[in-house]
Amino acid sequence: MYLIKKNDVKKIAKALEEKYTLYGPYLDEAFGQCFFDKVSADNIDLNAPIPANPPKHVVFPHLETIMQYKYDKNAKKADIAMVFDDVPKALFGLRSCDLTGLQCIDRFFLGQEFVDEVYRHHRSRMFIVANTCVVPFKQCFCVCTDSGPAAQEGYDLNLTDLGDSYLLEVGSEKGKAFIESFNFPKATQEHVTQKQKLVEKSITMFEDIATESKAWVSRVMNRVTTGFIKEEVWEYIGNQCIECGACSYVCPTCTCFNINDANTIAGNTERLRTWDSCSYEGYSRMAGGHNPRKPIEDRRNKRFFCKLSYSQSKKYLRPGCVGCGRCAWVCPGDIGLPNVVTYIRREIHE
Amino acid sequence: MSYMPGVCTFCGTGCGHYLKVDGTSVQGVFPSRVHPVSKGRLCVRGWNIHELLSTQERIIRPYVKDSGQVSYKDAIAKLVSALSLYKPEEIAFYASPRSSNEDNFALMKLARLVFKTNNISLQAESGHRNSLDVLYNGTGFAGMLGSLEDIRKAEVLIVAGMDITTQNPIIGSELHYAARSGSLLITIDSRMTKIAKLSKKFINCKPGTMRMVFDAIAYYIDKQQWGDTKSAHYEEYKKYLATVPFDSIEKETGVLPAEVAFVAERLIKAKSAAVFFSSGISGLSYDTVASIYNLFALAGKIGKEGCGVNPIAGINNLQGSFDMGCAPDLLTGYQSIDDATSKKKFEKKWGQELPTFKGKTVEQLLSDSSSPLKALVIVDHDDGIVKYADRLKSLPFVAYIGAFTNKVVDFAHVVLPITTYIETDGTFTNTERRVQLASQKCAPAFDVMPMWKLIDAIAEAKSIPFNYKSASDVMDEIASLTPAYEGISYTLLSKKHGVQWPCTKKNHDGTKYCVPEKVSFVLPHKPYAAVQATQEYPYLLMLGKAQHYWHQNNIMHKTFIPLREYNATLLLYPDGYVAIAPEDAKQIGVRDRWPVKVVAEKASMKAMVMISDDVAPGTAYVPYFIREGIASFLLAYSDIVSQGEEATIPVRIEKV
Repeated sequence: MYLIKKNDVKKIAKALEEKYTLYGPYLDEAFGQCFFDKVSADNIDLNAPIPANPPKHVVFPHLETIMQYKYDKNAKKADIAMVFDDVPKALFGLRSCDLTGLQCIDRFFLGQEFVDEVYRHHRSRMFIVANTCVVPFKQCFCVCTDSGPAAQEGYDLNLTDLGDSYLLEVGSEKGKAFIESFNFPKATQEHVTQKQKLVEKSITMFEDIATESKAWVSRVMNRVTTGFIKEEVWEYIGNQCIECGACSYVCPTCTCFNINDANTIAGNTERLRTWDSCSYEGYSRMAGGHNPRKPIEDRRNKRFFCKLSYSQSKKYLRPGCVGCGRCAWVCPGDIGLPNVVTYIRREIHE
Repeated sequence: MSYMPGVCTFCGTGCGHYLKVDGTSVQGVFPSRVHPVSKGRLCVRGWNIHELLSTQERIIRPYVKDSGQVSYKDAIAKLVSALSLYKPEEIAFYASPRSSNEDNFALMKLARLVFKTNNISLQAESGHRNSLDVLYNGTGFAGMLGSLEDIRKAEVLIVAGMDITTQNPIIGSELHYAARSGSLLITIDSRMTKIAKLSKKFINCKPGTMRMVFDAIAYYIDKQQWGDTKSAHYEEYKKYLATVPFDSIEKETGVLPAEVAFVAERLIKAKSAAVFFSSGISGLSYDTVASIYNLFALAGKIGKEGCGVNPIAGINNLQGSFDMGCAPDLLTGYQSIDDATSKKKFEKKWGQELPTFKGKTVEQLLSDSSSPLKALVIVDHDDGIVKYADRLKSLPFVAYIGAFTNKVVDFAHVVLPITTYIETDGTFTNTERRVQLASQKCAPAFDVMPMWKLIDAIAEAKSIPFNYKSASDVMDEIASLTPAYEGISYTLLSKKHGVQWPCTKKNHDGTKYCVPEKVSFVLPHKPYAAVQATQEYPYLLMLGKAQHYWHQNNIMHKTFIPLREYNATLLLYPDGYVAIAPEDAKQIGVRDRWPVKVVAEKASMKAMVMISDDVAPGTAYVPYFIREGIASFLLAYSDIVSQGEEATIPVRIEKV
C-alpha cells in the first residue's frame, strides 16, 4: 500500500512506457469521445469516463492476422507460419469492469482444454494498472454483477483517487517488484478506510435501477437459467433487434469470432480472425443450410443466456455480464442488457 | 491514439464512426456517440467496414489493354487520345453515387468542360431523381425536406413501400424508437417488412397501387375540407383528385375505406408528420412521389419542425452526386443546364463555353443499340452483375476508374486506380442533405491517386488544367458555384459533424428542415395505370431491390461478415427465388425450395420457391438481379423495372 501524489502518477506511466507499449484512456481531440488505446504517458486521462470501446481489443483485436501461408502450385508445397503479437503491453487505468471482462476472456481462451496460442501471446508480458471508480458513470451497473466499483484481483497495481492523492495497491509479484524502485511512501490504515468509504459512497451513486435492489439482475438470472420466460417476451425483444452485432462487439466478455482466409496482392494468403456476433443469422448457420437459431428471438435468447445464466457462472466462475453498460449505448433497438432485464422483470411482476 | 473520426460510406444514412488505423491498415471500427444522425449506433455493414478497407482486392496499377500495366501518364495519354477520336455526343461518363462530392464534381467538370459532353449520369436507379424533381417542383428544394434528428419529434410517421430497417438500419431503428415512444407509425406496402411488423398500422395494398392509396387519403382529406388549400395549383390538384375512384378503392387497391379515413384523420390532427420512402436503390415513380408529396402539402405538413417528405437514399453519396450535377440536364445544386444565368456563371468561372446539346443518361445510351455511344468512362461500378454486357463489349472504347476489382474491369480498355475514401479527403452528402467531411486517415496503401487529382491530370493532358492543390480547393469551387453549398468549406466541416445544406455564409449551421418560400402542388404526368392480374397470368410479381441490392454489391463481396449475412438467402436458394404465399404454393403444388418456372408475356425464368407469410396471396416477390437468369428476365422488362418499387409484372408460376 502506497500513497502517491497526483503528479507522480505520470511517473509510473512513463516508467511503464519504457518497457511496454502503453494503452490507456484518452479523450479524442476531435469530439471528446473516450477511447482505450495506444497512448503516450502524457495523454492518459485517468478522470476520463469509461472508454467507449472495450479494452479487450488490445488482446482480442477486431481484425487480426493469425497465420500466413503460401502455396507453391508447381512444387505442391505450402509454407505455413503462425503470426503472433509478442509486444509487451501495459494497460494503464483499466476500470474494474473491464478488468473483470479481461478475466472472463482469459478463462475462455486460456482456461479450457485447448489454449489459444494467439491470445496467449497477447496476454503474456502484460502489466495491468487498474483504476477504482469513485464515481459511477451514467450507464454503469457493475454493482449488480460483482464487477466493481473496485477491482478485487487480477491487477498488478490498483489506483484509487482519494482526492488529493492516489492510493496504490499492489496485486502481484510483478507489480511489487516494479513499484519498489520508486520509493513511494507507505499508506496508512486511515487511507485504506478512506478508500472503503469512497467505494461505498460510489455504490450509492449508481442509477436507481441498479441500487434499489442489487437483486435486480440476479432475479432475472434465475429466470434465464430455468427457462421460465414467456415466448412473447423474447419475440418482443427480437422484433427490436436489427442484427448489427454491436452488443457483442462492445461487450468486454464476448469472444465470438470468425476465421477467414484472404489472398494478398503479394501472392500469399493470410488467415484472419474477426469479431463475430451471435446476433448474426450466419453465426449459427450450419453447412447444408440448417440454422438452429434462425429466428431473431432465438438468438436474443441465446445471448442473454450466455450473459445471465448460472451455467455460465459455473463455467467461468462469474456472470457473463460485467455491468459496463456499453451495450445499452450502442444498441439501435434499445435492447441492451439493462432494458432486457427490465422487460423480463416486468413479466415477472405481472 | 489511432482512432480517427470519419463517416461510414455504405448507405445514405451517413453514420459517424471512428476507424482504428495503424499505418496504412484499418483494424477496427467504433461508433461515434455524439454524432447527430447515428448517436452511437452502426449496422452490420458499418461495424465491419474495416473488412472492406483492409481488402487486398484492389486495383493497384494503371492498365491498358494490349499494353499491360503502365504508368499513370501513359494510361492517361491513352485515355485522352481515345476520347479525342469521338464527338461529344458519342462520349458518356458513368459517375458513381459512392464517389465523394469532390470526385464527382471534378468528373462532371471534366465531362462538360474538357470533353464537351452532357452525357453524364449516375449508376443508380432513377428513383432519387424522381424524388428530387417532385420536391424541387413543389418547394424549390431538391432534397429531403425533413431531418433525421426530427424523427423523434414527429407525431405521425409513415413508411411507404420500403424495407427501411434492412436498407437503412439506423434510420429504421430511429423509427422503431419513435414508435416505442408513442409516435404513430404507419407502414403502407405490398409486402410485410420488419418495419411493418413494428408499426401500429400496416396497410397492405396491391402491388402497383401505392399512388392511388396516397391519393385516396388526400381525396378523403379534401372531401372533409380539412386540407390546406393555399398552396399553388390547388384548383388543378382538386380536379385531379376528382379522378380518384374512392368508391371502389377497396377493389382497386385492397385497402379498406376505413383505413384510408384513419390515416387521413390522424395525419390532419397531428402537429407534425413525416413520410419516408425509398429513393435510389429502389425508388418510386415521379407520379407516386408527387402523390405522397401532395398529400403532405394538403395536410399542411410542409416546412414545420418534425415534418418532412423524406426520400431515403440507399447509397452513401446519392444525394451528393446529384448535388454535384451528375445528370445530363443538371449543374451543381440542381441548377438546370438550360438556365441561362446558371450556365453563364459556370462559363465565367471555368473560362469556356459549356456544351448545349441535350445529353442522355448512360442507361439510355446503353439500352438503345442505335444510340451514337462509342466511348464510355465508368467510375467505381457497384453491381456484381454487369448489365448490358453485350453492349459494353461492342463499344470501341471503355475506361474504368475505381479502387476495387470487379467484373466491369474485364470490359475496359484503360483501367485507372484510385484511393479508397480513407486515403484522401472527401465530403459526402447523406440522405438528409448533411455534407460531412471524411478526412484522410492514412497514406494510400498502394501507389494510387485520389480521383480528383486523377481527373485534374486528365484535364491537364487536354491542356485545360483545373489546378487543384487539394480536395479543399475543389470544395471551395463547388461553394462558389452552388448557392446551397455557399457557406461550406473544409474549415467549417472539420469542426462539425457535417452541415445540412442550404448552408450560406450567413447561415453556417445549415438548415435542419426546409421551410419553402412557396409551396406548390405537383401535378402527375400520367393517369393511373395499375397492372392487373389475368387468367393467363394470375400472379403480380413484385421486384425487390433494396433488401437484396447488397447481395450483388461489389464492395460487399470484399467483406466477410456482411457478405455472409447478406448472402444468407443465396445459400438456401442458389438459383434465386420467387417468394409466394402458402395458399398459392398449395395451389401450384410446390413446397419450399422446389424449382418453378416463372412465365411472363415477354420472358420466363427458372427459380426456386420461397414460401413466406410476408407475401400476400396472388402476389409474388423476386429479388432484383440476384442471379444471371433473373437478370435476363428483368432486362426484357427494363421499362417496367425502371419504375422502381412499384414495378409489377403479371406472371404465371408453373411447377417443373
